[in-house]
Order: sequence, then C-alpha cells, then structure tokens
Amino acid sequence: MNPASALPDWPERSRELATLLSRTALGDRAAFAQLYDRTSGHLFAVLLRVQRDRAQAEDLLQEVYVNVWRAAGGFDAARSQPLTWLTSIARNRAIDSLRRAQSQPQLQSTTREANHDDDAPDAIERAADEAPGPLELLDRACDARQLTHCMDGLSATQRQSVALAFFDGLSHAEVAEHLHQPLGTVKSWLRRALQALKQCLDRAAARDMAASGS
Amino acid sequence: MDYAKLSLADALAQQYAAGTLRGRARRRYEALLPGHPALRESLRQWQARLMPLTVALAPEAPPLRVWQAIERRLWPAAAAAPQAWWQRLALWRGVSALASIATLGLALLLLLPGPAQPPVVVVLQATGGAAQGVNSFVASVSADGRALVTRPLLPVNLAADRVLELWSVPPQGAPRSLGLIAAEGVTVIDRKRLPASLLKGGTAALAVSVEPPGGSTTGAPSGPVVYAGKLQL
Repeated sequence: MNPASALPDWPERSRELATLLSRTALGDRAAFAQLYDRTSGHLFAVLLRVQRDRAQAEDLLQEVYVNVWRAAGGFDAARSQPLTWLTSIARNRAIDSLRRAQSQPQLQSTTREANHDDDAPDAIERAADEAPGPLELLDRACDARQLTHCMDGLSATQRQSVALAFFDGLSHAEVAEHLHQPLGTVKSWLRRALQALKQCLDRAAARDMAASGS
Repeated sequence: MDYAKLSLADALAQQYAAGTLRGRARRRYEALLPGHPALRESLRQWQARLMPLTVALAPEAPPLRVWQAIERRLWPAAAAAPQAWWQRLALWRGVSALASIATLGLALLLLLPGPAQPPVVVVLQATGGAAQGVNSFVASVSADGRALVTRPLLPVNLAADRVLELWSVPPQGAPRSLGLIAAEGVTVIDRKRLPASLLKGGTAALAVSVEPPGGSTTGAPSGPVVYAGKLQL
C-alpha cells in the first residue's frame, strides 16, 4: 500500500481542475473530457467504497458526470476546492443509492447485516478482501492532511465510528449495530468526535484554499 | 442531546456531509437547501472539512464504457458513427467564409485587364490552424473547365517521403483524385483527369491531402487534409 506521505496533496490535485470546470461550464467538451480523465479515478474509488456493487457504482459515476456537465456553472472557485465539490456530488449519489437499496432487503441483508458474530467484525472481513479497513483509511487521511494530532483527543471507538460512517457510508443504526452500542450513544459519539475535529479540519481546509489561491 | 452548543444547521450539515443523515430527514434537508443560504454555507464548510479525507482512497480507473455512456447521454447525435472529413459542414463553413473573401479579391484583380472569360479561382486555406501557419493554395480553373493550375502562396514544408494530392470533392459522395501537385511553384493538372462537370456543379470544393510517394492507393485521401477551399461560381 502507498505510504501516506506519497499521497498527492488535495489542493495540488485541485489546482488545474478549477480552469477545466469553468471551461466545462461554458460548454467546452474537450475540457470536460480532460476533467473526466483527471478525476474519474478518484470519484470511482469514492463511489465504490460506499456502493460496493460495481455495476451500480459505474451507473452512479455516469450520473455524477452528467450532473457535473449540467451543474458546472454552479461551482464557485472562490469558495470551494474543485475536488471537494466533485467528491461531494459523488458521495451524495452513493449514499442515496444505499437509501434506494434499503427497499431491496435481499441486497441489504447480504452486505450489511450478515455480521452477528461478536468475534468477526466487518473490519476483519474487509481486511480479508484486500481493501484497507476504514480505520486504516482514516489514519492514512490524517497523515496526508497533517491531522494526526487532531485525533489524539478521540477514543478508539470514536475514531472507529467516524471511520465507519464516513468511509464505508454506514448509517447511525449500522454503526451502532457494528459496535454493539445503543443508537443514542453512537449518535452522540459521532457528533462529538466530528465537533472535536472541526477546528483541526478547518485549519487544513484553510491551507487548501490558501494553496490553491497562490 | 447537547444541541444547545451546536446550531441545528451545523449539526445537520455535519451529518449530511458525513453521510449519516438518512431517509426522510436527508430528503427534507436536501429540499430545504436551495432556499436557505445559511444551510448551504454550513454544508459547504463541512464538505470542505471532510471530503479531503477521501485522499486516502487509491484511485480506481473506471472502464471505458462509463465515458462512452456519458457521451451518449449528453450528445446523442455526436456519438453516432463519425462522419467522413469531407462531410463535416463546419469545416466548409469556416473555409468558405475566408475563401469567399479571398476569391472575390483575386477574381476582381484578374478581371481588371478585362478578359471576357475570367478563370475561377479557389483559395485553399490551411485546415490545421496555427501549426500549419498562414499558408494557402490557389487553384485556378479556366472558364471552360478544361485547365486547372495550382500554386501554394509559400512553399509547403513536407517530410521527404510525403507528397501532396489534390482532390475534387463533389456535393455528394466521395472525393476524386485530380493527381499529385507540387509543394512549391506551379502545377498544371493533367487535362484528362479533370471531371467534365468540374464547373457544372460536379465539384463543390477542392482539397489537398498529404500522401505517401505516388499518392493515395485507396482512391480516397489516406493522409490528413491540409488545405481545402470551396468552389464558388
């Protein structure tokens, strides 16, 4: 696996995307194709992490870029990072697709509720299928974003709740089930954990905007 | 719940961005966003905080069919079978706009001595833009349509193993070769190669392609079309 330090910088990756997005907003197909080349690998990874069905993830990726072509004019480079904007669109689609899947219980039961054995948490199953676990991803992200010390104030279970919710797209109820904790407890853990990270994350976001402005 | 310290907008934005706001609450929140700038602002902030964490994911190249599906959805017409170059209307529109001005100017010059039957002059503009420079070809067809002479304004830079071939492009159908032409100086086209209908509507445009020695062996331009001009009577 890549060492965290080798991960490309978020603003660095975003830099030329702002131009491509603004040209896309003007109907420049070549710019749109270039934008797709540069970003589809990341967005596909984001979609696949939440929506594990590859065929569905491909459909979602298609929807995301059709949406990007139509909504590119709404992107405000002065206020947002291009990659943040694009990733938000992809994640929203992926989470919405889980909502749709909830009306199909046969899918749901195989992917999310199969784990009733206390000694076999999903993290282990997932490690077995080669994809890094959510906690590992959170650690890697924190290293890459110089956030390591931000996590110091969080308990191990808080960190795990954040990682499961954010990276794997688990709902409050799913995180609660996963950690064998009452729903209310998990909700407040998550809220407090993210609140505790807020200032640290803000500093990183401010660094991004400063870096892309230069 | 210690929502006292946390504004509701911030709490909702946090949950939405983290992905834990689900079901009806998620849909209600999305429905409120367009009309509430404060909600959008708090969401923008939480997205800026959380989305960069996805930097930890290794990129995964999607299969080519995804891009093809996007193209089909956005531009259904363009994704159909690619058109042959001589059928591309935009090329001729662009070329003819420039060429008609140039043709008029040259025709007037040629008219000055006052011959009864002035030749038809076609200016073949470079099709490749800046890379090709501003050079162009002039083709002059005698009024009876039985003689055709070409000459580039400036010598054309060509690779040693490449030649130029002139094509007559009919209004419909595939182009027809008129033979090889020189990259420098005057070429008189073999009279036998000229179509009888050259000035009678049989030729809509003239084009020059880059070909291997001896010219195209396929009967159609095999190399890039580097100059083209519309025939206007």
